[in-house]
Amino acid sequence: MKRIVSLALALMMTVSLTACAGAAAPAAAPAAAPAESAPAASEAPAAPEAESKDYKVAMICDSSISDGGWGAACYNAMVDAAAANGWETAYSDMIDQSAYYDTIVSYCDLGYDLIYAPGNQYTDAVLQAAEEYPEIAFALLNGGANTPEKAVNGNVTSLLPDANQIGWIAGAMAGLMTESGTIAFIGGMELDTTKAKYQGYAEAAAYVAEKAGKSAKTLDIVYSNSFSASDKGIEFAKAMIDQGADVFFGDASAVDSGARQAIDEANAAAGSVKIYDIAQPADILGQNECIITSQVTDNSSLVGLSMQAVMDGTFGGEVIYGTLQNGALSAGKISDLVPAEVQAQYQEYLEQMINDTFMK
Amino acid sequence: MDMNFVTNLLLASVRMATPLIFISLAELYSQRAGLTNIGLEGLATIGSLAGFMVSLLTGSPMLGVLAGLLAGILVNMIFAYATISLCAEQIVYGMAINIFAPALAAFVYRVYFGSGSELVQVKLMNTLSSSVGITPSNFFARLLLDQTFMVYLAYALVVFTAIYFNRTKSGLNYKAVGEYPKAAATLGIDVIRTKYLASIICGALAGMGGAYLTTCYTTTYVDGNVAGRGFIALAAVIFGRWSAGGVLLACLFFGFCDALQIRLQVMSFGLPYQFFQMIPYVATVLVLALIGMKKAGPKSCGKPYRREER
Repeated sequence: MKRIVSLALALMMTVSLTACAGAAAPAAAPAAAPAESAPAASEAPAAPEAESKDYKVAMICDSSISDGGWGAACYNAMVDAAAANGWETAYSDMIDQSAYYDTIVSYCDLGYDLIYAPGNQYTDAVLQAAEEYPEIAFALLNGGANTPEKAVNGNVTSLLPDANQIGWIAGAMAGLMTESGTIAFIGGMELDTTKAKYQGYAEAAAYVAEKAGKSAKTLDIVYSNSFSASDKGIEFAKAMIDQGADVFFGDASAVDSGARQAIDEANAAAGSVKIYDIAQPADILGQNECIITSQVTDNSSLVGLSMQAVMDGTFGGEVIYGTLQNGALSAGKISDLVPAEVQAQYQEYLEQMINDTFMK
Repeated sequence: MDMNFVTNLLLASVRMATPLIFISLAELYSQRAGLTNIGLEGLATIGSLAGFMVSLLTGSPMLGVLAGLLAGILVNMIFAYATISLCAEQIVYGMAINIFAPALAAFVYRVYFGSGSELVQVKLMNTLSSSVGITPSNFFARLLLDQTFMVYLAYALVVFTAIYFNRTKSGLNYKAVGEYPKAAATLGIDVIRTKYLASIICGALAGMGGAYLTTCYTTTYVDGNVAGRGFIALAAVIFGRWSAGGVLLACLFFGFCDALQIRLQVMSFGLPYQFFQMIPYVATVLVLALIGMKKAGPKSCGKPYRREER
């Protein structure tokens, strides 16, 4: 009897794990992946071409797709692009670094046409899988400019939003809005793109503040070493507020959500909103009281271009840049907390960025 | 570095130590009955999700904590039945809980909320000061009054546990089960019942520790939000030499080290951030070296109890 119960317990756990794999257990992710499919082929909008082939894209992500930040924006970008092009979607989120490669090849084995990896940290896993699966396309968001050259089969494309410009968009607003002269940035992992965003944020804020007759010092970048530890975001934000920071920007997914919670609490304790946050990469104005604007990256247009290239048979070996100039980067809606004259000034700076005259 | 830095650091230490206290006490109760339960991470995760969802649905963080408690008990009954009744290997089943429960939590979250990307937020439990409408101004007032009910409960449980294990007959009987269950049985102590009771308490406390995260600390639930606290709690029990007071000090120590590395990172001092991030680990190594590694835990920990075995 005990043996039967033991077997039943083991079976129950196995079945549960298999059922959960799409969301949390990357090694077995594709088993559940189709369940996460966005519009089924029959429900999807008509594909722009007459071919009967059903195209499929899979996203891997080490943060959650419901983090209110990076993971959510990247997932939405895939879903939007897929809806526009008539593709099926699947995803595996919250995967460990050790499972990047296994998750990717699992989708490859299932015949997915495009693997979408939103982050520089997936580069090695993508390159390895791309070598072993030459017929599959790999789109690496925030990939390096030279990454496609490294793919021996020419089946990797870097989607590269200009991290420096992303920093500028947030930094210009921070420089205009800071009253204490101290602003802050929270990073998730030490990635090249994160460092470039921090660099752009700090230099734009300093420039804009100086033009406005004040100063804006950016606290040194901090890293939570996690994209899911929202409690770390709370503690970092509290510590930075203690250091006088009054405008925040970040690149840390759910950690940013924790930081916003701490900022809202500090504002509530003060009785007015005097500490602000700039969100990214989607426009989430209104999600928290402290958000004054968002830096928006239209990743869906970049993913859509990759899908189009796959369908046209021209995919691979290129870098698709996302900039203010081509509309992939922009600033989101602005809160009423930002005075009208500051909003006007901000728009002027955005124009300068587009015209390539900013800080020149 | 001024007085403000020190006071805020200490307040952050208390915040960060509280979930650890619940989870560590869970392990203490389990090990005192001879059950080494390494599945705390999983129990806290399921408690965190249950707390979040019930808090969201009812608008009551207290009901959320209760749900976390019940979820922790429910999941830990798998461990209890397998290790107590079936005499299965405790480490293996603890690990199974650590894999099973977070996967179950992720599954339930996705089933309930769909694959949408919207950030769902809940209202947190009020602090005592906000409940009575006062604004504490100095450090001691903030330390004592600016806390949620769960923080007071955590410290009350430490006191209760210390008294229970050292000053009550029932507590001594309970410890006897963890030391030498056969001898305890000859004295008329129901070993099996005590072990099941320990599993219920362990599940409840670990679930509450997880629920604390989503009802008192952060307004959101994210997969992985327990962030290794289940494993830190295991270390805290060893650090604390299997005593309630020791466990409290160990949790405060871990909370302090983590809060310190965060605050020193922010202040930077021109040093690489990795230097500060290693503080908790270096401190752990140093303290272990200082207090020694001598085994002081319950003697029957990890060993199955077979009543008929000689």
